[in-house]
Amino acid sequence: MGAIRNEIRRLRFEHGEMTQQQLAEKIDLTRQTVNAIEQGKYSPSLEAAFRISAVFGKPLESVFHYSEDE
Amino acid sequence: MSFREKSAWISVVSMAAIYGYYFWSVIRTRPHGHVSFGLLLATIVALVILQVVLTVAVAIVSPREANAPRDERDKLIELRSMRVAYTGLATGIVVACFFGAFDPPILFNTNALLFVLVTTEIMRSACQIIQYRRGA
Repeated sequence: MGAIRNEIRRLRFEHGEMTQQQLAEKIDLTRQTVNAIEQGKYSPSLEAAFRISAVFGKPLESVFHYSEDE
Repeated sequence: MSFREKSAWISVVSMAAIYGYYFWSVIRTRPHGHVSFGLLLATIVALVILQVVLTVAVAIVSPREANAPRDERDKLIELRSMRVAYTGLATGIVVACFFGAFDPPILFNTNALLFVLVTTEIMRSACQIIQYRRGA
């Protein structure tokens, strides 16, 4: 079963040490959901993934990666 | 811990405690007669009061989370929990109907269905808690 990994933590740090709460407010999710996404415990909807990418001004594939072997 | 998870905990704890007492009273008085509808009414009123008080207390502590709408993960967790609870409810009703075929007193049927309903509601909230603990 594959897994979706992401660069959200690093990108938050690079964007002025944005907190999970700040990111959550920008994309209409709860802080707990952002935390779950960041830890790879929850795979966001495509819409939420696009919103997250838009916040960081990056294409989707720069924020989320799919690895087959994990 | 999110507001939704705290709400699920409130539901599990309050239902287990208050309906636990109700069903214990039913079993305790079983050989002799009946449990009055007064007790059932008192149980429902106590449950509503306890849940409202605890939910308001939690909302006062974290008002922003309490006012926030459910996000996609909350909705997914809710749907998964409903599916599990529905399976439990359907199974419980079939079992209750089976025992109902033996023509037990009406009180037994009523309490059996109430027990199924309470158990599945606890199951639904417990499923929510498990999923919130696991992440989703």
